[in-house]
Amino acid sequence: MAKEEILKRIAKLVAEGDEEEAVQAVKEGFAAGLDPLVILNEGAAKGMDIVSEQYSAGEAYLPELVLSGDTMSAVIEVIFANMSKEQAAASKQGVIVIGQAKGDVHDIGKNVVAALLSVNGFEVHDLGIDVTVKSFYDKAQEVGADIVAISTLLTTSLPYLEDTARYLTDTNTRNKYQLIVGGGPVTPEFAKKIGADGWARNAFDCVELCRKLVAKGNPGAGSTMIVDSEAV
Amino acid sequence: MYNYKVQRLLNNLDKAYIGPVLPMKEWDTKIIPQTIKAILKKHGLMGTLDMENPINCDDDLADAFFKAGWELALELGMYCEDTERVIKITEDELLECIRDYQAVNILGEGQDQVIMKPRRPEDPYQPLVAASLGIVCSEENYLPLVQGIVKYPKLVDVLHGPTLATVFGRTFRSGTPYETLMGNYESHLKKEALWRAGRPGMACTGVAGAVTEYGHLGGAPELAGRGNVTMSLCPVELKCTFSNFHRIMQGLNYGHKLRVGAFSYIGGYAGPAEGAALACVANDLLIPTILQSDYTSSYVYDIQLFGNCGRKAVWANSVSIQAISRNTGFMRNKIVNETGGPCTEMFMYEAAVGLMNHSVSGASKTTQPRSAGGRYTDYITPVECWWSGDVFKSCAGMTRKDANEIAKKILPKYEEKLGAPDKGLPISECFDLVKQQPKDNYIELFNRVRNELIDLGMPLDKAFGETYMGKVSNGRRTIVL
Ligand code: B12
Repeated sequence: MAKEEILKRIAKLVAEGDEEEAVQAVKEGFAAGLDPLVILNEGAAKGMDIVSEQYSAGEAYLPELVLSGDTMSAVIEVIFANMSKEQAAASKQGVIVIGQAKGDVHDIGKNVVAALLSVNGFEVHDLGIDVTVKSFYDKAQEVGADIVAISTLLTTSLPYLEDTARYLTDTNTRNKYQLIVGGGPVTPEFAKKIGADGWARNAFDCVELCRKLVAKGNPGAGSTMIVDSEAV
Repeated sequence: MYNYKVQRLLNNLDKAYIGPVLPMKEWDTKIIPQTIKAILKKHGLMGTLDMENPINCDDDLADAFFKAGWELALELGMYCEDTERVIKITEDELLECIRDYQAVNILGEGQDQVIMKPRRPEDPYQPLVAASLGIVCSEENYLPLVQGIVKYPKLVDVLHGPTLATVFGRTFRSGTPYETLMGNYESHLKKEALWRAGRPGMACTGVAGAVTEYGHLGGAPELAGRGNVTMSLCPVELKCTFSNFHRIMQGLNYGHKLRVGAFSYIGGYAGPAEGAALACVANDLLIPTILQSDYTSSYVYDIQLFGNCGRKAVWANSVSIQAISRNTGFMRNKIVNETGGPCTEMFMYEAAVGLMNHSVSGASKTTQPRSAGGRYTDYITPVECWWSGDVFKSCAGMTRKDANEIAKKILPKYEEKLGAPDKGLPISECFDLVKQQPKDNYIELFNRVRNELIDLGMPLDKAFGETYMGKVSNGRRTIVL
């Protein structure tokens, strides 16, 4: 198969969320002499654009997003394994630990965010619902996270977001992780009040926020980045 | 107390330990979407979403959704997250549930008692209104706010109530002892407010602020019996947890009616609007059969619009409500998720479209309002509750055809703004809690929008003149609230 064809096929399989076939196609790409970076940018990343656009247009839904996110993660693993360390580090989007604050089981919005982040090439560790402050911390330490992302839809779980910021400060780890927050009652003002590094309105904005924060570095410096596509 | 419902509930709990086992991710990302897609296809329901006619008027389509929903319910059942097994039901169990289902639900006691009945599309019997749909408020506002919410007996029948931001001045965190205390405190405040409003027998639906079982444990005993209701909400369509069973068992322990719900999401696991509508029909069949609800509280929600007042969700709710209303006697609480806040045209328009739709499609009850999407503390006033009652009840008996024509005129007034809705005003800026009256800015807006909708053909000028003390000005009614 021609190189162009292989790249197109990878994009299609990532968009369709066909993990096994997509990994196979990436391997075929290597066999055909394609550079890992080309496979990433002109194959897998194109697939991620397709599914993101479909979701945004209401033509793909949460399951497609989740499967496509899983496929992207699997494909990236194979691609990185075939890159030099420096190349892999330069291509890495960042490691994110995400979860729903303690007491909160509203996970639909968080699931959309997590899936879209995976689709966009981030390494996402989703701790699920009802996550304690300590669990966020432990996971972030374990996987060497760049970003800790907390979602809540409950006013009565907002205090746990502040608790997390305080816990990171008290354990001298605040400058290791970009702390970002979002969900219904979480306003930009609240994010600023607790000294979070970022806030975004929706899942697409969150992807942009994470990209910018990883590029910027310097977590816990006191400024809060706001990404709001609906702002007038 | 230990009636047949308890036996059936135990049978289904047993099944949660022996039903087919599979990982949750497979259920969410493969079984649900694939089965829904296949059944939609088989019944020719793909592509039936009608954006030009958001309120369905086609009985055959509603019946086709019912048939397909029946098939989905029997094919899938409900997934229990705690045991990772599926609780399946047989057709006989579903038929038995329909056969044995009660004719009415009696809520509350004494002169505040109200009767919920199954309703058919276009039914003239007025459905019930519970208010408010949670919404966080400051502790000092709780009593006068609830008192205001229940001020007009003809508009609000049942109290759900706002939720507390603090308890005795302390911030309370979900799932902590503060919450256990809050449960009891909220129930006391509600009883006090009902007494002050002269409506002591009004039914209460659960502890509004019970984010976990702790709040429920704290508050339910205070509201035992007397036609009160326990609320138990499933995580998503076609799934349940032990938390649901806990709340249900506890509701039975306190002699409550059971309101159990599972929402279906456009853009979620069920996929497009047609998929969410189909899942909603299946929910409304499975929940009484498996979780023994006295009435269900399931509806369709649009993930991308953070509510259900856009065309897709209005349509999906209309067709799924009609499917069950036309083919069973199951009673259902159907919620409208407004996104606009207090004292905005947007809220009033969203509520008008959503509630008119639910009323003409055959819902038995609603719980309202979701002012400002429930995001902000103190963005709730009694006026949104009254407006909900006004619309929902007045529209009983309208034809779907008329409702559809009116909805088509109102939708363009707000649909562009659904992505970034008007936040509105906090209660302090548009409602006087001491006088129990809206402030001039809200009275002006309210009357203006209400008259506009009457001019568009909504039958609001007939129903509540007596309660609202309306007087005629410029040939239209001006409400003195
Ligand atoms: C669906 C729903 C439920 C479902 C949840 C299903 C699920 N698996 O998620 C169920 C039925 C289980 C439920 C239960 C309850 N709910 Co509820 N629920 C809702 C509802 C209707 C929609 C929420 C939703 O899914 N939105 C859609 C998603 C896509 O939006 P989202 O979560 O905001 O996410 C987007 C953005 O915020 C952002 N985002 C999200 N997370 C993050 C994270 C980061 C880091 C960033 C940057 C961005 C970001 O991106 C997302 C995608 O675009 C809202 C009301 C409403 N209209 O919003 C009430 C609501 C959230 N619920 C509420 C309440 C009170 C409850 C209950 C306590 C009710 C009860 N008494 O039992 C329980 C609590 C259960 C618990 N312990 O958590 C209240 C909360 C009020 C408050 N301010 O505290 C609300 C606001 C309703 C109300 N009363 O007004 N609920």
